[in-house]
Amino acid sequence: MSLVNLAHVCSHLQNASKARLGLTSIPVSKMHVNLMLGLQREGFLSSVTLGGPTPPKPFLLQTQPDPESLENMARKLEKEPWNAYPVDGQSPLGKEQIYEVNVPENPAKRRLWLGLKYWNNEPVLKQMKLVSKPTRRIWLTSEDLGRIARTRESSYVKGLTHPGECMFVTTDRGILEARDCVERRIGGMALCRVW
Amino acid sequence: MSVCRPARCLFSKASSLPKSAPSAPHPRRPFHTTTSRSGRRRRPHYPSIKAEDLALLNQAAEVQYPKYDTSETALLAKKYTPAQIAAIKAAESALDPRDIITQGQTRTDPWKLPYEDDMSEVDPVTDHAEKLTAADIPGPKTFREANEVESDEAITLIASENMAKLYPNGVPDDMTDKEKQHLEDAMHAALTQASLDPRASYTSKNPKAMEALADPRHSTILPDLPRLENRMAKQTRRLSTEEQEDPRQKRLLQQMSWDKDKLKFLRIKTLVSHGVTNQTRMGKINSMYFLTIAGNENGLLGVGEGKSTEPEEGRKQSVMAAIRNMRPIPRYEGRTIYGDLEKKVGATKVQLFSRPPGFGLRVQHLIFELARAAGLHDLSARTPRSRNKMNVIKATWEALCNQRLPDEIARGRGKKLVDVRKVYYGGSVH
Repeated sequence: MSLVNLAHVCSHLQNASKARLGLTSIPVSKMHVNLMLGLQREGFLSSVTLGGPTPPKPFLLQTQPDPESLENMARKLEKEPWNAYPVDGQSPLGKEQIYEVNVPENPAKRRLWLGLKYWNNEPVLKQMKLVSKPTRRIWLTSEDLGRIARTRESSYVKGLTHPGECMFVTTDRGILEARDCVERRIGGMALCRVW
Repeated sequence: MSVCRPARCLFSKASSLPKSAPSAPHPRRPFHTTTSRSGRRRRPHYPSIKAEDLALLNQAAEVQYPKYDTSETALLAKKYTPAQIAAIKAAESALDPRDIITQGQTRTDPWKLPYEDDMSEVDPVTDHAEKLTAADIPGPKTFREANEVESDEAITLIASENMAKLYPNGVPDDMTDKEKQHLEDAMHAALTQASLDPRASYTSKNPKAMEALADPRHSTILPDLPRLENRMAKQTRRLSTEEQEDPRQKRLLQQMSWDKDKLKFLRIKTLVSHGVTNQTRMGKINSMYFLTIAGNENGLLGVGEGKSTEPEEGRKQSVMAAIRNMRPIPRYEGRTIYGDLEKKVGATKVQLFSRPPGFGLRVQHLIFELARAAGLHDLSARTPRSRNKMNVIKATWEALCNQRLPDEIARGRGKKLVDVRKVYYGGSVH
């Protein structure tokens, strides 16, 4: 579990949001995937997609069902609403459209594609910084995390004083937000803080 | 002697008895441009009195605050119930008149009454005008519309009354043309006034009711405020046309569609002023640079710069620019900022930290001025790098203006954010 790569990811996300990119990619690792899913859960990212060296097709550019068939479907559902539920794995409304992302077989060629968010011409994710460093890991108990979440300093970690600041902690239950850890009373190694 | 005299304890002024003047071998030196808040004085608020002064004091107390005599108690008994008189006597005995003389001070606290009065007289400016109701009119109160003859009669009567007020010694016989013209105007005015008088259009058999028609105490409209007729008021009174108006200020007010009175409530202060030199081929041109802040102490703050060869001109420029640049400052609970802020301008970095209620403004002087003008009450700050005055002010102002608000963060992230303090205290936070 290298924190060097995470440091690179942190600065890359800061740079990408400063450049107002809509989509960016980071190297894939289990920790990165879990952390990015945590960021998405907290609303910092719009999408997290596993893909190859080329970006996955954005949702709006994927093949959409034509409006006529959608209308037919709506009319059918209105008459026979039980058709909304598939029977024996067969959908009575016709085949579901699934866009398949081409993930390379070679793991070295895989990238994790992230959708960045902006609001009022300001990036939602502006700052992302490591708390533990590659040379100095910091483990926090749930009491420490409680104090930090209440904006107090604890175990040489500054409190979450910026508006809307989040801290991610890797625990034996996965990568969680600091406030989640406090709620579940689990401690872990602090990874990074985001605001 | 007024029956309201018991109130003297509450509104008494500091006495004219000689107080020992506080000797000041070391007058307080002002280290700041900011006027210091009057701190708590170490010494008691009243001088200690020697035994020989005490006799003087007793004498003064007896003269200034004498005991009630029998006529006064009789007056009191007319106005107050026995229980109230007992309360008044208890209050009088609780306060030693000597204490009032030695310790009595004019109140300076914000809860003091806006005027000094023992309530014995009706002041037309501060008090409500005296009102009479229909119950105060003795006899029947029936009215009817006057017919033409009655109306004409009333108008003549009222007009002659008015003329008698204007010419109490009668109209002089030999008059110049100008005086004649004056008399004619006065007669015209008196007639108009009389025809507008309610006594001209209504009549009653009860003469008291007719009087009540003309009595301003029965009117629903408040009487006009009296004109102040002392010498000081006359000298300071100016017509709006006489006043010199700054064209720049006029334009500013027009641009902001403001009233002139609004400028009075702004806190404006020039924080930086220094000379600057422009080197041209003709030689050096010296001018003065000013940086001024303006705020309404309620969430508006502006910073303005001005430069001119004329110092006063430059200062005015900067003041107008500051007022024009006023921008809203979001304040958490109207007292502090939303979270911690950081802003860098040039080599200057300013870090601002939000603080709990009652913390105060523990910040350096420039940031203090800005926070005070913006109406922030709890703040601390650090300027870890360069402390260039102009850049500190600009960085602080920009940091305060560009705060990320919780609502915006919530909208950006698509999450629900809740102010825990507000929920915990049931919204009763200020």
